[in-house]
Amino acid sequence: MVRHTRLTPLSLLSLGIAAFLTFPLAYVTYSAFTGDLSQAGALWNTRLPELLTNTISLAVGVSFTTLTLGISTAWIITRYQFWGRAFWDWGFVLPLAIPSFVLAYIYTYLLDTAGPVEQTWQWFTNSDARIPSPYSFTGALVVMTLNTFPYVYLLARAAFQNFNLSFEEAAQATGATRWETFWRVSLPLIRPALVASMFLVVLYVVSDFGAVSLLRFQTFTYAIYQQITGRFDYQSAALLSLLLVGFALVFLFLERWFRKQSRFYQTSGRVRTATPKPCSMTQSLLINLSFGLLFMAAFGLPVFLLIQWTLTAWTNGDVGTSFGTYIFNSVFLSASAATAALLLGTPLAYLASRIPSKLHVACLQGAYIGYVLPGPVAALALLMLFTDVIPILYGTVFVLILAYLIHYLPAGLQAMEAALQQVHPNLEEAARNLGAKGIRTFMQVTFPLVRKGFFGAWLLMFLLCMKELPATLLLRPIGFDTLAVRIWLEASEELYQLAAPPALLIVILTIPAVFLLSKKNWQAG
Amino acid sequence: MKMITQIVRKFGTFPFLSILSTFVLLVSVIIGVPQLYAEGTVVVYSGRAERLIKPVLDHFEQTTGTTVQLLTAGSTELVNRLRAEKARTPADVFITNEAGALELARSLHLLQPIRLPAVATTIPKYFRAPDNSWIGLSGRMWVIVYNTNMVDPLTIHSLLDLATPSWKGKLAIPTANSEYLQAGASMVLASKGERTANEFLQGIRDNAGNEVYGKNRQIVDAVAKGKVSVGIVNHYYIFRHLAKNPKAPIAPLITDQEEGGMGAIMNVAGIGLTAYAKHVPAAHQLIAFLISPTGQEMFAHINKEYPVNPTVKTDPKIPAASSFRASSIPLTLLAELRDPIIQEIQRLGLR
Repeated sequence: MVRHTRLTPLSLLSLGIAAFLTFPLAYVTYSAFTGDLSQAGALWNTRLPELLTNTISLAVGVSFTTLTLGISTAWIITRYQFWGRAFWDWGFVLPLAIPSFVLAYIYTYLLDTAGPVEQTWQWFTNSDARIPSPYSFTGALVVMTLNTFPYVYLLARAAFQNFNLSFEEAAQATGATRWETFWRVSLPLIRPALVASMFLVVLYVVSDFGAVSLLRFQTFTYAIYQQITGRFDYQSAALLSLLLVGFALVFLFLERWFRKQSRFYQTSGRVRTATPKPCSMTQSLLINLSFGLLFMAAFGLPVFLLIQWTLTAWTNGDVGTSFGTYIFNSVFLSASAATAALLLGTPLAYLASRIPSKLHVACLQGAYIGYVLPGPVAALALLMLFTDVIPILYGTVFVLILAYLIHYLPAGLQAMEAALQQVHPNLEEAARNLGAKGIRTFMQVTFPLVRKGFFGAWLLMFLLCMKELPATLLLRPIGFDTLAVRIWLEASEELYQLAAPPALLIVILTIPAVFLLSKKNWQAG
Repeated sequence: MKMITQIVRKFGTFPFLSILSTFVLLVSVIIGVPQLYAEGTVVVYSGRAERLIKPVLDHFEQTTGTTVQLLTAGSTELVNRLRAEKARTPADVFITNEAGALELARSLHLLQPIRLPAVATTIPKYFRAPDNSWIGLSGRMWVIVYNTNMVDPLTIHSLLDLATPSWKGKLAIPTANSEYLQAGASMVLASKGERTANEFLQGIRDNAGNEVYGKNRQIVDAVAKGKVSVGIVNHYYIFRHLAKNPKAPIAPLITDQEEGGMGAIMNVAGIGLTAYAKHVPAAHQLIAFLISPTGQEMFAHINKEYPVNPTVKTDPKIPAASSFRASSIPLTLLAELRDPIIQEIQRLGLR
């Protein structure tokens, strides 16, 4: 049902916001097809097959492993009562506090030739046996899996918690085994949550720059960054980006489609959720052992090493007073970007959910473009815009904040949309009938109801901004290094001890945000 | 205070906070806008690893009282940045890890001549641009590093030998984006012609396979650990590694010394004065310091590079510049050959 509405100032505003958010893509498309295409043709033949295979196989591989880990952890935690359950409930969200490139540099240290793992293994087996190199598909797979499985865990856990038990009981009453019930009833029922989490994971994997470049695994985003920084070949970078955008858009539409399908599964009436089954001593022990291993690999060991290195750096006097500045820069940038994104995102999400005219929906969809455009490319488009059109702002933090905003607003928009959809329009209409004006209605009726959802969106965006790397590298003002940039500069020289203090600080600063995220009841759609 | 409470009550905590932070944001943008640095500041874009340049800049700050604002990134990346920024660049000087990027910047009219009398008197002509818009600060050789337990150095005579199939799986090379690789291949192209350069690139690509590294340090490390037996790096990375681990089984190998051969591949890290520098006197002061004996000694001793100022001695641990023959191809050619060589590297699909 499409309603035609007249252009209100609010819709003009959201049109303006959407136009701004889609600007980088427009610019990239323009530069991809202007000029000489022959050089790009060479790239097509030599690099493309490798990049395509690498990117797709990594995305598929990580999807598979994160689904396995995420679903099984979420299932066990929601369905069984065992010792330590309260801890694991939020413990598995902690890996989200570690930026992918920090995990990557820790794993290159651990798994490198003659590194601690290989030495231990050789001592243990009393041989010269080699372990697989981390600079490979396996390395990238392990790091990205450990870094992103919490997304699946979070969404799957929420889905299992809000799950109506009657379906399973019906299946079992008609003679299905527990195993059959799980595969044929429980899993299909949480499909929307799984699709939503795959959306997060796959986009994260294909747009990741830091981890793959430290692990020297050539994916699209890495190649694009190289095209931009190693040569002035913006055209090839733009073409590669468009390809990546196309890939991501297909994915985005799939996700939207699945979401529509998900409406089927909602039942009315009271939802009865499962009561966790008590476990035996042995089961409890086994669960804790396997959870412990996973947790150590994704969070415990990395943080332990970071603490150890930080202490070494501290005693060597390598931790200077400049760290205060780096902390301030990181927090200031991320908080500003998250706040600005929330303010700009509100009209978009609000209009699209309340007056879903073609224009409003298109504006909202347009805003999602930023997420699929690789960070370095959007950053360069902004750089061009600001040097050519608005030079007065060039070289200020403002440009960097806009880059964050364009890239991460979509992540927040998802949560904002979901929150707004849960408020029944009747409430707003009632307020309006009582004589409240538009803004007042929003402030006094709508906003208090969506406050939690919006805060969750803010946190998510804050968290992502704290970890952002490529745009920061390209756009930071002089002398305005963030924690992430410091880690990058030191880690790419393999100066582990010097990279550790800023890395540990990022982890510490993002843990509260991650913790709050884990408390939120995530629901897909 | 009362007003704030009222506003909070009226709008709710969260909108109030967002309005407040927007305000803070706007103020900070307004403060940040005129990124004007006071006199007595010099803004440096540097493509060198911070560890190799920061100590020298710190020393300059302490002795002169001039503030240095440093932005570290890749050399080519910074040429791109200068190119995009044009007249609005805040940078006064541009430091790079090799001459090609400087010459490229000069050919794009991003640099201006350095008008310091000391330049012409202290630095050999080979190490500076014809119009003195950039000058070399320290020399480096692109040499072979080999594992002394695994390789007999007498079997290698030329850098080109590493492209033969016998080194398959034993060689480590820098990534396609490395300015050193581009410069080295350009030198091969200039002295041996297109066909040899092409075979060289193809050969090292096949021999290196997955052993492609972003940093010289990592290549030296891989050779020292015996992961590969040879690598191609800048000489000082070998000596820096040896300074830390005197027992590491690695050594440098200077090749192509035979009569009529191409000679060892020499390059310079250098500095250019940007065309739109806003603090020319301070920039001159910095350049004068960097080519003075004090500055040059730091490059020679801390970094183990070759000083360009002939009055400063090379570190005794590294081979004296007089003990080998360097390639005679002019460094300015590096910029001209850059585009063709990058296209070739890309066409051959080096990683």
